Order: sequence, then structure tokens, then C-alpha cells
Amino acid sequence: MQVEVTFEGDKISSVRMLQQPNHPQTTAAVPKLIQETLQAQSADIDAVSGATITSDGYVTSLQAALDAKG
Amino acid sequence: MRRVEQVMGFPVSLRIDDESASEQTADPVFAWLREVDARFSPFRADSEVSRLDRGELTPHELSPDLTEVLGLCEEYRVATGGAFDVRLPGRGLDPCAMVKGWSVQRAANLLSGRGTSRFCLNAGGDVVAAGGPWRVGVRHPERADRLCTVLEITDGAVATSARYERGDHILDGRTGRPATGLLSITVVAPSLTAADATATAAFAMGAEGVEWAASREGCEVFAVDAERRVLRTAGLPVAG
Repeated sequence: MQVEVTFEGDKISSVRMLQQPNHPQTTAAVPKLIQETLQAQSADIDAVSGATITSDGYVTSLQAALDAKG
Repeated sequence: MRRVEQVMGFPVSLRIDDESASEQTADPVFAWLREVDARFSPFRADSEVSRLDRGELTPHELSPDLTEVLGLCEEYRVATGGAFDVRLPGRGLDPCAMVKGWSVQRAANLLSGRGTSRFCLNAGGDVVAAGGPWRVGVRHPERADRLCTVLEITDGAVATSARYERGDHILDGRTGRPATGLLSITVVAPSLTAADATATAAFAMGAEGVEWAASREGCEVFAVDAERRVLRTAGLPVAG
């Protein structure tokens, strides 16, 4: 088990479990995450993934533009 | 061929590139999704979900499909320590977050099972693709006309959870309050059932959900936290 321990002075203020290998909720080791800066780009694509869109949102969406292109 | 229809409250776009595909090829997909809406919508008083919620059905009277969906909901509730919960206190049973990914994956299976091999099905922002490579853009969380990354998917699914379309609609079941720790999270998985449930559950968990999603088998993650930092897994299939 991996834990993250936070100290305040020499006292432990919190302990957080990061990984519990034999627990059913953990199906694989936690991979190391890569940190990047947020980019805004446009590109040639086939589909757009995003938060569940409303019909109003769809009208002006990139996916609607793709669908209209045919 | 391409077709777009509004089903279950969102637009569903289907593109099939098989040369033999006709309008009829797409029919079972939309028929199934309309059936799912009738059976599982909590907004329809006569749906199986509404009848269960009113106590008119007992658990052993449920259809195998709803039993399967509720079983998946319970699996994710336990796996997230209660952050993902379709039975929040003071609210009706609402399994929509699970029904969407599960039913759209089943729709894709209908196409594959009938011999369709090259298609891209986008259900309101959740994508199942087969016979790629397909280039799937991830919407920028703050700019509707921009992407924040582009993924290359051959056979698999991409789902995104965020607040920019429907506001604070995802609640952290542990607190009952809107989840605000992330701007958006995108999960790539072999099936949309896993991708959508993992993305929604991780969003409900907040910042800690990123690491949790990354630990789920078969899942690759691209997340933007509240400070606009991007966190992603090394195996994310970013398009070249």
C-alpha cells in the first residue's frame, strides 16, 4: 500500500491512501501521470468528444460542422 | 453514409464508411437508442426505471438489461467510495450516467454484429469507433470552437465529462454537492461502457479522480484540473 503523509511541523496532519493493491477497486498499478499545459488547437478530425451536448449547444458545435460537411 | 438524430436528449451522429452501407444499416442503432430512452429514462413516468423507483417493480421483476445496468452502477459506486451514486438522498433513481455509455456501446455492437466494420458513432460527445484509424478531437473546456488534444482511435471508445454544457450536473455522491475539482476529464477505453462510467465517476471524485481513472484497467486519461493543468497517462493515443 502506498500512502501520502502530510506533516504540520513534526505532527502528521493527514494520511491519504494512494494505492491498495489487493483491494477490488484497484485493477492496475497507478501509472505516472504526465503534466502538460492546456492547448487550444484546431485540426482535421472525424469526431469530437466533449461533455454531453445539448441540442442548442450542438447547433454551433464542431461536431455539427463535421456532420454538415458530409 | 452519415445520419444525425436527436435521441435521449442529445444529438447522435453516425458515420459508416463500409461501401456496402445503406440507410437501413443505421436503422437498428437509432431504433435501439429510442427503445433505451423509453425503457430507462427517469423522465418518463412509464419507464422501467420510473416504475422501479416508485416501488411498482421488485428487483427480481427487472429486465436482464436493467439488472445489468444497476449492477454496473453498484460496481462503480463501490469503486469510487460512493462518489458515483445513482441513488442520491432526496432524489429519484437516475442511472442515466451509466445507461448512456452502456447503450451506445450496445448500439455499436449491433453494427459490428451485422458485419459493419468501419464506423464512428458519436452520442452527444461520447464516441465509439471501429475499423479506424479515426481522429477524435477533445473539445477545449473553455472554447467550444477549439480542441485541446486529438486522439487516434482504431477500435475503442472516448468519453468526456465536464461542466461546460450542462453546468453543475454531476454531483459527488459523498457530499451531495456539485463536483468542481476538474474542468474536464476524457477517458479512452476498449468499450464506451467503461470509458463513460469511468469519466463520469472520476469527474464526481474531483482532482483525485484523475489518478483513480488512470488506475482502471484498460483506461487512458486526459484531464484538465481547476487550475487548467493538463494531466494525462503516458499511454494516451495522441494523434501524430
